Amino acid sequence: MFKLDRKSILIGASLFASSALLFTGCLPSSTSVNEKTNASASSKLGQYEIKSKTAIDGGVTYVRANGVETAYAYNQQNTKGVSFGRTATPNEIKAWDRDSLHDGTGLPEGEGSVELGEELYDAQCVSCHGDFGAGGRGYPQLSGGNQSKDENGVVITLKNQRVYGKTEAPKRTIGTYWPKATTLFTYIRDAMPYAHPKSLTNDETYAITAYLLAQNRIKIDGETMDDEYILDKEKLAKVVLPNNNGFYPDIDGPNGPENVRAFFANRAKNIGAGIRCMSDCKDPGGIDGKTETAVMTIEYEMSDVKPPYSTVRDLPPEQEDKTISKAEKMYNVSCKLCHATPQMGAPVIGDVDAWKSVIAKGFDKVLVNSIAGIGGMPPKGGNEDLTDTDMKLIVEFMIDSSKKK
Amino acid sequence: MDKTFETERSTSVSRRDFFKRTVAVSAVAAASILAPGSLLADDENIIHHTKWGTILGDECNFNPYGLPSEYEHNVVRRTSALMSSGGDMHAAISMTPLHELSGIIVPNGLHFTRTHNGVAHIDPNKYRLMIHGLVEKPIVLTLDQLKRYPSESRILFLECPSNSAAEWKGPQFGSLQFVKGMMSCSEWTGVRLKTILDDLGLKPEAKWMLAEGSDGSEMSRTLPVEKVLDDVMIVYAQNGEALRDEQGYPVRLMAPGWEANLCVKWLKRLEFGDKPWYAKEETSKYTVLTASGKAIQHFYANEVNSIVTSPCPEKPWTDLKVGDLVEIEGLAWSGHGTIRGVDISFDGGKNWTEANLKGLVLPKAWTRFSYMYRYEGKALLLQSRSYDDSDNVQPTVNQEKKVVGVEGVYHRNAICTWAVDAKGGVTNVQVRS
Ligand code: HEC
Ligand code: HEC
Repeated sequence: MFKLDRKSILIGASLFASSALLFTGCLPSSTSVNEKTNASASSKLGQYEIKSKTAIDGGVTYVRANGVETAYAYNQQNTKGVSFGRTATPNEIKAWDRDSLHDGTGLPEGEGSVELGEELYDAQCVSCHGDFGAGGRGYPQLSGGNQSKDENGVVITLKNQRVYGKTEAPKRTIGTYWPKATTLFTYIRDAMPYAHPKSLTNDETYAITAYLLAQNRIKIDGETMDDEYILDKEKLAKVVLPNNNGFYPDIDGPNGPENVRAFFANRAKNIGAGIRCMSDCKDPGGIDGKTETAVMTIEYEMSDVKPPYSTVRDLPPEQEDKTISKAEKMYNVSCKLCHATPQMGAPVIGDVDAWKSVIAKGFDKVLVNSIAGIGGMPPKGGNEDLTDTDMKLIVEFMIDSSKKK
Repeated sequence: MDKTFETERSTSVSRRDFFKRTVAVSAVAAASILAPGSLLADDENIIHHTKWGTILGDECNFNPYGLPSEYEHNVVRRTSALMSSGGDMHAAISMTPLHELSGIIVPNGLHFTRTHNGVAHIDPNKYRLMIHGLVEKPIVLTLDQLKRYPSESRILFLECPSNSAAEWKGPQFGSLQFVKGMMSCSEWTGVRLKTILDDLGLKPEAKWMLAEGSDGSEMSRTLPVEKVLDDVMIVYAQNGEALRDEQGYPVRLMAPGWEANLCVKWLKRLEFGDKPWYAKEETSKYTVLTASGKAIQHFYANEVNSIVTSPCPEKPWTDLKVGDLVEIEGLAWSGHGTIRGVDISFDGGKNWTEANLKGLVLPKAWTRFSYMYRYEGKALLLQSRSYDDSDNVQPTVNQEKKVVGVEGVYHRNAICTWAVDAKGGVTNVQVRS
């Protein structure tokens, strides 16, 4: 259906010379990308020198040398010795450095019971997160979900995939998905309750954390968390959440960053990749991996788009500016040009004496003059769209603004 | 095809309604295109003086901070209840109107937004940035002091990794704005973090950095030091002016190519450590749950991606005549590096042809692609597929699904398909099994 002659309608030169690649069928990605590089060797555009080591994210890192980094120039002068700001005081660091690591380092002193946590939760959290953290009110669900694991220690319901007729979603709650309990403490203290973050004390936060862990049926050191259970930093550090091992690559320990690099170095296997197939491409899938593709359309469309979709180019609906009167608005548009300054020979708005002699002629006469034009003043100030009523409003406004206050 | 886009004025008579007349006149012109010139109707906009040509315009500085033409009032970010992570719109997302944009720079007012506790408004005089942990000299900087460091500027895209998150199980949105609008591209200016660290003395044990925001959500994330020393910046300017409040005024982190969520807004604190932190946004959220039941964590880069922006559902081909030569345009981007090329398909991915890149081709930035097409009035399944300089090729829906399943929420970069019908109407579909 799409023949080479499409090329003949190209306007301007192709960035890359049209290559034989076009109809070579399926190629592994690396080959095709490399070939493309060769085909466009004459063009420097978008071709940057690459450091040998792949970046930790699997991408490239670009050389910065001789004043150039990719398409950007940089100042090569030495910046050593550039130093601004001042040393942070220990108190300042203490005030801001409130985070904690998952081994409990950094957790503050304090304690709170499940029972107190329930009281606080019901007063400050339930309106959004639902009874017992069960959700259902449009806000994140904080408990629930099936924590059972398969023989490999994987939470079974996290394998739920809503394809091929299956409808049950994996539930990502504290009990089924979160890896670390310290995260819960820090997050609640710093970010909740939503409308008044940072209003909870450490004791209160321990209590609410205890309550939420209890709702997720978490045991600490084998101990069930009943109402009297009191959580503190030692106990929180001991919590092992059910999905603690549910994440990869392994970022802990001295090899953490290298594990991440190795993971992203193998992107085709680990995160998926395409193939630069050019013709007669097949892309089977489905539950058997062999089903032909089909065209899937939108089942139902979102209806609450705000503001509503529109690509029209018209004037926006006029919005009442309550701060200035309609008369003043019309004055600004049609009269201000001449009446704000004396240069035009017009009586200046606010000039009490000038307007005193104008008004002496009588309002009706003055209005007629402004409608018909007088001296250097064109009829209606040059704006024929103004009605006589508009003019009356404006003249009244001008007179009003030029009275002794 | 259902029409959700208002393409005609809804209010009928208005004294300034020359727009409608234009439409009517050009319709006449189109109908008589083959007739001799004398039969063409004259366009009133040419025959008569225009209103704006016969009156004095505004004073030169009427708007001391310039505004778009009033006629552009529909070019705005949009959102919907589905874009919220709670029951209200404070922890939510608004989408960039990609269908109305040109080039690779997004105007600041149209940059997509994602907030976790509303848009914070920071007094720049009270703003402080603390850098501490495994450094020889922990410091505190005011905004002015930060700006004293030598600055650099980079054109970089920012993409929320949940861009297209609702489309894992099938097409969901009938507009380009919602299909891909959780991204933008700007010129960002600030200080390379390495420049500051050279002065502070990073200790060799430092492996990770915590970046923490000062908004109500105290948004925080862990980044590997390697990236920090490579190209991470602390930015205070966006397209030449101060960051907008929605983008983290006065200061945000910029990790080129990586999840926008890692580019922490309203930045308050950077701490260096030897262990990762496990913040809420890198455990409960921003982890990719795969079909194995396990989830990928520390998934940093937004992968190679592309989308056709013209035509699109909002800007269809319904005005074209068979035989018209028309440009197909789109955007390609990769957080792993630089776009090398884009292929396009008219038949839903069976056969492909090379499109052309145009304009600036920069690392970790939007790149425009272009293809001249002779419109045939036939139904098409239009796709684009990009590839970059680190050997990544954008996957099909099936190729991506095979590896990560459909419940991962984040990092969806599968090829998108616009179904163009015989009349030029465009809808969002997926080619998959
Ligand atoms: C007004 C509504 C509201 C109230 C009240 C509220 N929250 Fe939240 N909560 C939210 C929203 C919205 C989010 C998601 C924020 C985001 O998108 O980052 C959230 C997220 C959370 C999360 C993380 C959930 C997850 O799975 O990632 C926890 C834990 C939490 N809240 C605990 C609490 C606690 C404890 C309280 C009471 C002290 C509380 N919340 C009060 C709205 C609320
Ligand atoms: C192009 C400049 C110009 C504009 C625009 C203009 N005026 Fe005037 N106007 C004048 C001048 C000059 C005079 C003094 C005429 C004279 O007395 O010779 C004047 C006088 C007047 C007077 C006093 C008439 C009298 O009888 O002394 C009124 C009332 C007035 N203008 C109202 C308006 C209103 C209302 C508008 C806007 C709709 C307007 N003008 C716009 C130049 C202007």
